[in-house]
Amino acid sequence: MNRIGNFIRSLFLWELLVGMSLTGRNLFAPKITVRYPEERTPQSPRFRGLHALRRYANGEERCIACKLCEAVCPALAITIESEQREDGTRRTTRYEIDMFKCIYCGFCEDSCPVDSIVETRIFEYHFENRPEQILGKQQLLAIGDKYEAMIAQDKALDAPYR
Amino acid sequence: MWEMLNSGWAAVPEIVRTPSVILLQIMAIVLPLLGVVAYLTYAERRVIGFAQLRVGPNRVGWAGLLQPIADALKLMFKEIVLPANASRFLFVTAPVLSFMPALLAWAVIPFADGALLADIDAGILYVLALTSFGVYGVILAGWASNSKYAFLGAMRAAAQVVAYELAMGFALVGVLMAAGSLNLNDIVRAQAGGFFHWYWLPLLPLFVVYFVSGLAETFRLPFDMAEGESEIVAGFHVEYAGMGFAMFFLAEYANMALISALTATFFFGGWLSPLHGVPVLESVPLLGGDGFHWFALKTAFFLFCFLWIRATFPRYRYDQIMRLGWKVFIPLTIVWLVVVTLFVTTGFGPWF
Amino acid sequence: MPEIQNYTMNFGPQHPAAHGVLRLVLELDGEVIQRADPHVGLLHRATEKLAENKPFNQSIGYMDRLDYVSMMCNEHGYVLAIEKLLGIEPPLRAQYIRVMFDEITRILNHLMWLGAHGLDIGAMTVFLYCFREREALMDCYEAVSGARMHATYYRPGGVARELPDYMPQYQPSPYRSKRELERMNAARQGGLLDFIEAFTDSFPSRVDEYETLLTDNRIWKQRLVGIGVVEPERAIELGFTGPMLRGSGVEWDLRKMQPYEVYDRLDFDIPVGVTGDCYDRYLVRVEEMRQSNRIIRQCVDWLRANPGPVMLDNHKVTPPRREEMKGDMESLIHHFKLFTEGYSVPAGEVYAAVEAPKGEFGVYLISDGANKPYRLKVRPPGFPHLAAMDEMVRGHMLADVVAVISTLDVVFGEIDR
Repeated sequence: MNRIGNFIRSLFLWELLVGMSLTGRNLFAPKITVRYPEERTPQSPRFRGLHALRRYANGEERCIACKLCEAVCPALAITIESEQREDGTRRTTRYEIDMFKCIYCGFCEDSCPVDSIVETRIFEYHFENRPEQILGKQQLLAIGDKYEAMIAQDKALDAPYR
Repeated sequence: MWEMLNSGWAAVPEIVRTPSVILLQIMAIVLPLLGVVAYLTYAERRVIGFAQLRVGPNRVGWAGLLQPIADALKLMFKEIVLPANASRFLFVTAPVLSFMPALLAWAVIPFADGALLADIDAGILYVLALTSFGVYGVILAGWASNSKYAFLGAMRAAAQVVAYELAMGFALVGVLMAAGSLNLNDIVRAQAGGFFHWYWLPLLPLFVVYFVSGLAETFRLPFDMAEGESEIVAGFHVEYAGMGFAMFFLAEYANMALISALTATFFFGGWLSPLHGVPVLESVPLLGGDGFHWFALKTAFFLFCFLWIRATFPRYRYDQIMRLGWKVFIPLTIVWLVVVTLFVTTGFGPWF
Repeated sequence: MPEIQNYTMNFGPQHPAAHGVLRLVLELDGEVIQRADPHVGLLHRATEKLAENKPFNQSIGYMDRLDYVSMMCNEHGYVLAIEKLLGIEPPLRAQYIRVMFDEITRILNHLMWLGAHGLDIGAMTVFLYCFREREALMDCYEAVSGARMHATYYRPGGVARELPDYMPQYQPSPYRSKRELERMNAARQGGLLDFIEAFTDSFPSRVDEYETLLTDNRIWKQRLVGIGVVEPERAIELGFTGPMLRGSGVEWDLRKMQPYEVYDRLDFDIPVGVTGDCYDRYLVRVEEMRQSNRIIRQCVDWLRANPGPVMLDNHKVTPPRREEMKGDMESLIHHFKLFTEGYSVPAGEVYAAVEAPKGEFGVYLISDGANKPYRLKVRPPGFPHLAAMDEMVRGHMLADVVAVISTLDVVFGEIDR
């Protein structure tokens, strides 16, 4: 009996019709496309994107040139040079990240004892010419200044877990 | 005004008058057809997108409606690359050869009762001749490209078309036995009398064979061996760029439209309304009345089936296609032809 | 008698079905394959050599990039090897998290495989359906580690961070009505565990959908049944592992045979094939997705009921919490030590293997007592599979080559390393 059923089903292309009914039904199902520039997928506060250097609330830069991030960076993407400033504190004179080398592992952020270098949730950036991918200290600080509100919120959300 | 034009027209010598009328008729068919083909690409991307839970093209113009035009512009301005050691003449003529028959066959398709460019009695033969002619473009393209992938595609295309041309021809023999005519207009007329009087019911196996062969003939999934995206990359048109590529594309879509129109004509009563014999609806002007709109609707439905099938099925392998064509379809059609013969001799049902 | 030469064809490296950068030199007789000669090495990045020059932890991120569709499983193999050498064991909760993410990775990998397999055979819709589910799993990756693919989440001694108690939500947009937005955010109201649980609830029906399109489909069967058959004995000889071996009917799964982490506490089955053809391997992988779903569900339940640390408190190996680091001198010193020179590992050799989605992913590690590996050798599951290519496709047709390549589930990140 079963075999006859199978034969009839096979004769009338049953499984093909079932497949077509599935795609046919999905014609009317809600679409999953996220229409990107206007609509975005949700982003976790832990997202690891473009780097930024942060400042304290009084405008003083956080980075103390301890070079932990430089040491921990697996891709050797970070280069730091430092000098003593006039007020006696040690600060970086050069802080560069080569964005082509960076593998976005987040170790620099983990290692930073003063929460200075962070990875923001920004993923839309581009470089048009060769040396531009090396972000300097001023650029990184500028990113930090621009997005400080977002960075602070993300880091506060994630702080209990770190 | 009108009379002046009329008399002026009458003064034009016959030798000019007839060709210009035909030319106008051809234009009236080909230009809308090109529009249909262009928007068929759009429809394909939309329908398949929707079936795959995507939205498809939606950025160019309102709901993406200008997409085909943007594509056409882009393809027009692209460089046509001639591969090294390609046979130049054949390489350039091949796209034309594949596009031309796809348009020519429309001459005998009845859009409404009597509304056809060439009311020839050997309509079916003409259609069969031209649809198989299309494959020459494909073979020449594969040969002329001097590429191994293209050559494999061409070989596959040749074998496939030969196999399915036979099945298709046999299926049409069934139709012409039932209708008793090779004239497409007469075939439609013979189906008059409502949905269940059309030939799809008595010739159901032939209808399935015809439609599936149509899929194979136009190299559509699941029979797109000649292109075989994931096997031989793009098959016969792998070396083509710009307008050459666009011509193959247009030919493929024009062929799809043609097969859909033919299926509607042969098995689904062409321009006939399906509501003949239904008490109330029959007298409603547009619904009950025959005409071009029914023909267009049916064609559109079959085109949709083409896209729907493409969205659902995997691709056959080359030898399996051959097996299906030679060992399943041809015997099936022959058996059903015998059955049809019995039907015709006994005058079975309302059809014969 | 004219001399008949075989048709030699270059298949790849830029071929849509070459799954990356496989170059296959095919000798064809008509369409029938006489010889298939895979050429590898186009994606060689010297990961093993690079690892010799970095402290142990810094190579974790590079393990993600070996088999770039089963990221966390690779990390797992590497981290497991280090832990074995150090003689430490992560907290139980971390082990459950690892197992959960291993299984999420398995589903991710098999979905990618199924989609690509479908696409290779010509069924393009399955691809998009698979990516719908992958998207949800990618969101899990992102929620937990901050990266959608290259997570760098496992650490010797645990995992980097606890699972979050929140999920990011879709924001209003001109394309979505309020009701639609609510529907999309429905699973995102609670924490990550709630999100994963909602996923495990809906996933089996999604697998049914793929099966509706493929499993019984006559075209799908004709393309796969009897293609690339490998006998069980031969599969063992060739060094097959994972679904390739199980598809041939050998019941071998590291999760059962030598359970690592908490696999021995979980209830799941190992599907095996019968004939060892592409179709059996397809069925095995589909069933594995269902089993992974079961495991994930069990892990979610356990993780809900048992809060705890996810990282060892041994600050010679794992960094102290940031709060401690900022307030406590000793922790700060540990922090600095760990992030500059890392930790030293006792001298010795160790081999650790995990059941990655593609098979046995092994890491052979030699330490000379320094803070860097003396030698690291990765045993990628894909390499022996690819090596059997010639034997599997000989006598089949060109279209079958595509089916076999995708049934091998090769990824060149791990094969070329």
